[in-house]
Amino acid sequence: MTDLVAQQILNWLTLGSIYALVAVGFSLLFGVLNIIHFSHGDVSLMSPFLALGLVQALGAGAGGISSPAAMVAFAIVAIALTGLLGVLLDILIIQRFRTAPAMMALVATVALGIVLRELIRHLFPNGSNPHAFPRLVTGDAMLFGFRVPAFNATAILVAIVAVSLLFLMLNRTRLGLHIRAVSLDRDAARLMAINPGRVFRATFFIASAIGAIGGLFFSSYAGMVRFDFSIDIGLIGFSAAVVGGLGSMPGAIIGSLLISGLDTLVQATVPNGASYRLVFVFLLVIGVLVFKPAGLLGRTVTEKV
Amino acid sequence: MAHASAPPPARPLGGLLIVALVEIVGAAALREFLLAEDWRWVLVLLAAFGAVLVALERRPALEARIAEAFARHRRAATLLGIAIALVFPFVLEKSSYALHLCVIAQLYAVLALALNFQLGSANIPNFATGASYGIGAYASALLALNFEVSFWLALPAAAVVATIFGFLLGLPSMRTKDSYLALVTIAFGVVIHQLLNNLEVTGGPNGLVGIPAPELFGHSFASPLAVLGYELPSQANFYYLSAVLVLIAIVFAGRLHDSRVGLAWNALRADELAARCQGINTTWYKVLAFAVDAFLAGFAGTVYAFYVGFISPDNFTFLVSVTIMTMVIAGGMDNILGVIVGAVLLTLLPEKLRAFSDYRILFFGVTVIAFLMIRPQGIFPQRLRRYGG
Repeated sequence: MTDLVAQQILNWLTLGSIYALVAVGFSLLFGVLNIIHFSHGDVSLMSPFLALGLVQALGAGAGGISSPAAMVAFAIVAIALTGLLGVLLDILIIQRFRTAPAMMALVATVALGIVLRELIRHLFPNGSNPHAFPRLVTGDAMLFGFRVPAFNATAILVAIVAVSLLFLMLNRTRLGLHIRAVSLDRDAARLMAINPGRVFRATFFIASAIGAIGGLFFSSYAGMVRFDFSIDIGLIGFSAAVVGGLGSMPGAIIGSLLISGLDTLVQATVPNGASYRLVFVFLLVIGVLVFKPAGLLGRTVTEKV
Repeated sequence: MAHASAPPPARPLGGLLIVALVEIVGAAALREFLLAEDWRWVLVLLAAFGAVLVALERRPALEARIAEAFARHRRAATLLGIAIALVFPFVLEKSSYALHLCVIAQLYAVLALALNFQLGSANIPNFATGASYGIGAYASALLALNFEVSFWLALPAAAVVATIFGFLLGLPSMRTKDSYLALVTIAFGVVIHQLLNNLEVTGGPNGLVGIPAPELFGHSFASPLAVLGYELPSQANFYYLSAVLVLIAIVFAGRLHDSRVGLAWNALRADELAARCQGINTTWYKVLAFAVDAFLAGFAGTVYAFYVGFISPDNFTFLVSVTIMTMVIAGGMDNILGVIVGAVLLTLLPEKLRAFSDYRILFFGVTVIAFLMIRPQGIFPQRLRRYGG
C-alpha cells in the first residue's frame, strides 16, 4: 500500500515538474509580452523532434538513439535550437502583434501552433506516426532516502534547478531587471534606455529553452513522441499557468502541482480515468477561473477607460 | 437636408442591370469552380477572383456603385438571389459531388455566421463552435435513434440542447475575458470531445451509425429529387434544406446586426469597460452571444448528422473550430457576405486543389496568420451602418 502511494507521489512530482517547466514559460512570456503565446507548447515539443532528427542525421556513429550519452548531447543542442526557434518566431510573426488587440495575437498564436504541428507532421520523416523516444537517464537513484528511478529524480532535480536559475536570473541579474522593467511598463523602460526588443528576444529564448527541457522530459517519460502531443502539453501547461495566475512564477509551479496531482489522482482512482483525465483537469481550470478569475496568485488588474 | 444626400436619380435600369450582372456572373463563376476538374483551371478562376477584388480595392467608385445598386434594389437582388439558389442544382450536370460540396459549404457558412456573432461582432474568442456543432449533431442523432423522433422535431430540440450548453459555456464568461475566456472555450471543446469519445451512450470513438434520412410529405431525402421530370441526385434535397438554413441564418444575422443587440456587441468589441459605463449589460450580451452561436451551430449539426447519416467525435474536434474561425477571419469579421464567401472559399479550395488536400490544416493555419498580419479586416471589411437610407 505504502509502496503504491509512494509510487503515485513520485509520479505526481515528476509530472508536476515537467508541467512546471512548460508553465513557467507561459507565465514568463505573458508577464513580459502581455499576450498569450499559445504556441508555446508546440515550440516546447519541437525539442524531442529536433533531438531525434539530429541523432538520426549526425549521431549514427556515436551509437544513435540507443546511446544515452549521444541522446543527452543532442538533447542539449535541441534545447538551444528550440530557444532560437522561439526567438525566430518572435521576429517573424509575434512581433507584429505587439500593439494589436489581444484577441488578434491570441488567434494568431493558436494558428501558429497549428502550423508548427503540421510542419512536424509533414517534414519529419513518418511524422504522423508516434516515434520511440528513449529514457534520457536510466538506472536507480536515491532521493530523500527512497530508491527511485534515476529518470524521475533527474526530471524533478532539473526542474528545480531550472526554475531556481530562472528566479535568480529574474531577481539578481541586469537582464532580469530589464525583463521586470519591461513587464511593468514598456514605455517607461524605453525611457530608461532599455531596448524592449532585446528583452523580448531574450525572454523568448529563455522561455522556449526551458519549455524545450519540459518537452524532452515529457516525451522521455511517455517513451514516445507524436506531433500532436503538443496539444496536451500546451493546454496543460497553459492551464497550470492560468490556475496559478498568469505572470506569477510561483503560481505556475503551484498550478502545475495541482493539475498533475489531480491528473495522477484521477488516473489512479477513477475507472478508465486515463481517457477522462483532461475532463477533470479542465473542470478544475474552469472552476478556478469562475471563482478566482485572475488565478490563485495572479494580481487583479483594475481597468481604466 | 434629406434630399441633399440622396443619390442621383434616373438609371434605375442600370442599377438593376448591375445587380443582375453581379449575381449571375458570381453564380456562373461558382459553378465553374465546383465543376472544375483541372487544377490549372481552378487557379485561373482564383486569379480572376483575386483580380476582381484588387480592382474593387483600387477603384472605390466602382465598389460604391455596386453597393449602391444593391442597396437601392434590395428586393430585386434578394429575389434574384433566391431564384439563382433554386435553379443552381439544375446546372451542375447532375454531379452529386458538386452538390455535396455545396451542402458542406452551406453548413460551414451557417457555422461561420454563428461564430461571427462572437468573434466578429463582440470580439469574444470562442474556440468551441465545433463543440456546439457536435452537441447539435449528437443530440438530434440520439433522439432519432433512441426515440425515433423525426428530423423536423429533432432540429429544434437539438438547437435547444446546444443553446443550453452554450449558456453553460457562457457562464464563465461573466468572470473571465480574453485569454482566460479563450482557454475556457478550448477546454470546453476538449471536454466535449473526450466525453463523446468515451461515453457509452454516444457510441465512443465509433460514433453513431444509421441515422435515418428525413422525410417530408412522404418524400425521403435519401431518394433522388425529381422536379418536372428532371431528376436531381439525392444530395439536392439537402442542398435545398441547407440553403433554407443559410437564408434563416442570414436573416437572423442581419436583423441582429442592425438591432440594438448588434450595436451592443460592437460596443463590447470597441471597449468593454466603456460599454458598461454606457449602461450596456455586458454580461448578458456576452452570454447571449454564446447562446446564439450555439443555437445556429446546433442547427447546422443536426442537418449534418441527418445528411451524412453517420457521426463520430472526430467530426467535431478543436480543428473544426479553428477552421470555422479561419473562415470568419479570412472572409471579414462582422460582414455577413464576407463570412459566407470565406466559408465557401475555404470549404472548396482544399477539395479542389487535391494535390494539397493533405496540407489543408497547415493551409488554414497559414491563412489565419497571413490575414491577421496583412489584412486583419478580411476580404470584405465591415461596413458602416446605414440608418434610414
